[in-house]
Amino acid sequence: MEPESGPPPFPDASGAADDTPALRLETLGKRFGNTTAVDRLSLSVPRSSFFGLVGPNGAGKTTTLSMAVGLLRPDGGSAHILGSDVWQDPVRAKELVGVLPDGMAMPERLTGRELLTYTGLLRGIDPGTVAQRTEELLSVLELTDAAHILVVDYSAGMRKKIGLATAMLHGPKLLVLDEPFEAVDPVSAGTIRRILQRFVAAGNAVVFSSHVMALVEQLCDQVAVIASGRVIAAGSLDEVRGGASLEDAFVHLVGGRTGGGEGLSWLAS
Amino acid sequence: MVGVLIRMRLRLLSHSLRGAARVSGFVAGIFLGLLGAAITAGAIAGAELAGNSGLAVAPLLFLVWTLGWLVAPVLVAGSDETLQPEHFSLLPIGPRKLAPGLLVATTVGIAPVMTLLAFAGLLVPAASHGGATFVVAAVGVVLQVVLAIVASRVVVGWLGSAMRSRRGRDLGILLASGVMLLIIPAQMLLGSIVPILAGAGDSALLEALRWLPSGWAPAAVQAASTGQWLPAAGLLAALAAAVGVLTLLWSELLRRRLTTPSTGSGSVAEKVGGGWLERALPAAPVSAVMIKEIRLWWRDNRRRVSLLPGLLLGLAMPLFLGFGDGPGTASLPFAALFAIWLAMLNCGNLYGLDGASLRHTLVAPEVQHAEVRGRQLAWLAFVAPVVALAALVLPAVAGQAEMYPWVLGLTAADLGAASGVVMLLSVFAPFPVPQQRSNPFTAAGQPGCATGLKQVAMSVLLVVAVIPVLAVLITGTLLDNDWLLWSSVPLGLLTGAVSAWGCGLVAVHWLRTRGPELLNAVQP
Repeated sequence: MEPESGPPPFPDASGAADDTPALRLETLGKRFGNTTAVDRLSLSVPRSSFFGLVGPNGAGKTTTLSMAVGLLRPDGGSAHILGSDVWQDPVRAKELVGVLPDGMAMPERLTGRELLTYTGLLRGIDPGTVAQRTEELLSVLELTDAAHILVVDYSAGMRKKIGLATAMLHGPKLLVLDEPFEAVDPVSAGTIRRILQRFVAAGNAVVFSSHVMALVEQLCDQVAVIASGRVIAAGSLDEVRGGASLEDAFVHLVGGRTGGGEGLSWLAS
Repeated sequence: MVGVLIRMRLRLLSHSLRGAARVSGFVAGIFLGLLGAAITAGAIAGAELAGNSGLAVAPLLFLVWTLGWLVAPVLVAGSDETLQPEHFSLLPIGPRKLAPGLLVATTVGIAPVMTLLAFAGLLVPAASHGGATFVVAAVGVVLQVVLAIVASRVVVGWLGSAMRSRRGRDLGILLASGVMLLIIPAQMLLGSIVPILAGAGDSALLEALRWLPSGWAPAAVQAASTGQWLPAAGLLAALAAAVGVLTLLWSELLRRRLTTPSTGSGSVAEKVGGGWLERALPAAPVSAVMIKEIRLWWRDNRRRVSLLPGLLLGLAMPLFLGFGDGPGTASLPFAALFAIWLAMLNCGNLYGLDGASLRHTLVAPEVQHAEVRGRQLAWLAFVAPVVALAALVLPAVAGQAEMYPWVLGLTAADLGAASGVVMLLSVFAPFPVPQQRSNPFTAAGQPGCATGLKQVAMSVLLVVAVIPVLAVLITGTLLDNDWLLWSSVPLGLLTGAVSAWGCGLVAVHWLRTRGPELLNAVQP
């Protein structure tokens, strides 16, 4: 790419006022055939917030996040990243956001270092900066030893980490991460947590989906619970869990009950 | 951006060239490509040097190559997607920018370079008309190659786009078969090349071909050689415009592909325990595998594009094998054999299509037998009815009822053998298929020439399998003995069953002993 777009801008260059939410979804909707995956969903993620998105399997979390970052065209509604409309001005929005999608498509036969390098160059960052950021990310995420291995040979956890590195490479203002801690070892998970906390402390925002309630409680100040494609609870962590643990609140909210006590006698014999 | 994409593509290609098999496939690909390019360029240059007009032959040869670019991805179910558009969907690069970038990056590869070499034959006749004409030819050749590539991308993208919705899926298969039938005119044109080179060609045909976009570069050179600079420039501009329009079209197809992923299969009518297949078949491991396979052939787009177009093209093949001059009608009764052969080749990567789900087979004890037999039966369930119908009907339609013993005997023998060879190909010549749903007509790199050679080698088994039947048929014909002739039919059924059983046994053994290696080979 021509260097005209340059490295994505740092604080306040987006020109948006400070109270512009980092991510604003308005009445987003998506149907697949006869199934409504996301049903007029609205959500606002403030700046400087660590936002957790939780919900049962198949609730529409991944569909929502895909529409929020420009990977899946919504049937209706809009998504704004720091004021930039994702579907009207995708180039601008994609400069501001870093994304770790679910099952990310990566050129499998590149090494980790090559993947980061080419991603950076395609984003128009100058080669010196790309090289420096690549080495830094590889070393912080403990991927230096794997830097010369093809991505196709990476373990699930290593794939998450290299995906996270590509999401952070261009210095985004918002990170949208689908299950970032899944399959990641405890040491790396600790590292990622600290990186994300520093990122938020510097005035940026993180949105991530997870099934690990303890993690969400530990990290997030804002939480939204999604079920059947709708937000059924959203707000600060304490508002959503209302005195109980988040796990109990979650089970209560989605109207489920913890099963597994009955049946399967052939297995437990 | 283009520079980075090209570097990326070269790096990906070099990383995928690990292992002797891949390298030898690569070398074989270069060799075959060079051969084709040399023949094309040689024909144009040779015609010129022999006193005929090379410019007259060029539009025909260019059209054949262009048709090849359109047909090949559908025929082998794979357009080269070393760089998948999905890899760039998160970057701030719009499709209008991405499409030309990917297009230029695509030109760095064996097939485009070989096409360029082939088209470069046009430079020889142009050179004799002076420097300016040579420049027109050089520009024209490059534009002509790019036109073939971008047209191929648009066709593949369009088919993939059609197949992404449930409703368009069957339409997509039909369109794909239609695209494959473009091989017919290509074949006919190639057949007419020899008389043309000998100077006895149909000049009206050649004249007409120059008006097709694939003939615009030769037409421009022709105009330039007679000093008509305005038409020459106009034709080059028209070529460039065609490239531009197709690139725009492709960028629109890319935009749709990146933001409107496959709707999936939606919810399908679940039939476990309730379908007629379950009721018709005994409850046994083999039937379980067979039913699963039948459902997959029906539901999985990748499998559909492997099976159906090959089957259809096989049936259509005799129609054009010798259009106009005799042998066409002679081979019509044998359409069933072509269909068997193509359906076998196109389906011979079952484990590649299934990818990582081979793990389910590997972690279960002693299922290899049911696994192989079930897959053979499922393949037969689709191919056998079509082929049997063709074998029963076509000899009569062609007015060659005396060919019935030949057709039925050979078909029976080969149908059984092919159901075994499908399994042999799947275990011996597996190649990974990218597990993405966006376009069933894409492959990561090519299946590889090494795999292609294995496919050809395995095809020989089909010939071996009919030797007993053929012997009986020939003896019967020589002795003019109807009993002997007709005994080839039960013999064909018998040898077909034996070869299906035998090849399956080899596949079972291979699966049992080399399962992990197979899994490794099909991982994308």
